[in-house]
Amino acid sequence: MTDEMLMKAVKDGDLQQASLLFERYNKRIFNFLAYMAGDRVLAEDLTQNVFLRVIRYRNSYRDGARFEGWIFQISRNVLADHYQGQKRQRSQFIDVENMSDTLSDNTDAAEQDDKEHLLQRAMTRLTEEQRQLLVLTRFQHRKYEEVAQIMNTTVANIKVKVHRAIGQLREHYFTLEKI
Amino acid sequence: MKTNDWDSLLIDYIDQNLSAQDREKVEAALRTDATVRLQYEQLREVLQTMDHAGEQEPPARMTTSFNTLLQEEIRAARQPRTISLTPALYRVAAAVALLLVGGGVGFWISRHQQQQAELEAMQREMKATQEMLLSMLGNDLSASQRLQGATVALRMDRADNELVTVLVRTLTDDPNTNVRLAALDALGKFSDERPVRQALIKALSTQTDPLVQIELIRMLVDMKEKTILKELHRISTDEQLLNEVKDEAHAGILRLS
Repeated sequence: MTDEMLMKAVKDGDLQQASLLFERYNKRIFNFLAYMAGDRVLAEDLTQNVFLRVIRYRNSYRDGARFEGWIFQISRNVLADHYQGQKRQRSQFIDVENMSDTLSDNTDAAEQDDKEHLLQRAMTRLTEEQRQLLVLTRFQHRKYEEVAQIMNTTVANIKVKVHRAIGQLREHYFTLEKI
Repeated sequence: MKTNDWDSLLIDYIDQNLSAQDREKVEAALRTDATVRLQYEQLREVLQTMDHAGEQEPPARMTTSFNTLLQEEIRAARQPRTISLTPALYRVAAAVALLLVGGGVGFWISRHQQQQAELEAMQREMKATQEMLLSMLGNDLSASQRLQGATVALRMDRADNELVTVLVRTLTDDPNTNVRLAALDALGKFSDERPVRQALIKALSTQTDPLVQIELIRMLVDMKEKTILKELHRISTDEQLLNEVKDEAHAGILRLS
């Protein structure tokens, strides 16, 4: 069954089918939110919230619409709601000093880990939109066409933005490396 | 050529997305220009690091929590949406039993008194419920409390002006999409009342959350509210809005025309 057929069944009242959608998407959504929020525990909560919205607001799913685009839109809304709620209390920027304790469980001192840690810190210096674009295209290896659909824009626009984001990431990465 | 332009060319070169002509141009620059070569090495390291970062496994407890949550939602979906039906049935049953057992004028008097007392008790209960949900809807610190408040409002049989005002404010101003959608559901139940209808029409032009916009359009179209046609035309041609919202507006125009 396609994602869209499963979601249609959920919308029609067969809520149990949501467990198949969870199986297919929980890892992708969790990783998206983990990279975006820089916090695995928070990403776990936000992922639950995404699937809760999928179930509770099933009637807002338009029959035949691409499920993946819809669930990523919900994920972005959940993230935005989270930041909006936090805005009064603290900056939405991620706490760079605690990144190593939050994003990765792996504490090996291997070179790749150091590079990934540096990369994560550099990512926090990008805008939220730039982080979303890089997570989708580079960490999750989605095609520009797919991301353009998710972000509701053109492929050319996505490509320009992704290249610009990578360019800025490169600058932050090698600036931080010197510190 | 600017640094940004070289970034773009070099990224396409690393991704092997360049034409033969551009590839030669980049390779020539890599052989002769130390700055471009450094830029290339840096980009390659960043891109390789991203490629190798890979995906993390979510904790296993996430699946367990989801399954629990799903079963709760399934149970909730099976339950009827009214909260006072069962106690009311008990009260009616008790009244019927008394009628059968008692009889006579004395009984009629006592029954009248009992009904009066029950009515007052129900009114007190409704007042207390309304006060509780107003307080929940006004809880700025907890989205789940506000969500619960809006859900309780959905189960109310009647809404006075104070409740409608709070629900409209929640629909317009609450920072949480779930809470706004729940407030919209609750308002939809009282849509026969003129102030509610007007508030929903007004919300259509001010609401910016796509999920709420879609639900709002569906609700107003179901209500056959033709005065929103102009607003639907605006939404269906607004380039800033999501396609899903525009599609819903377009479908609404067709249904109302």
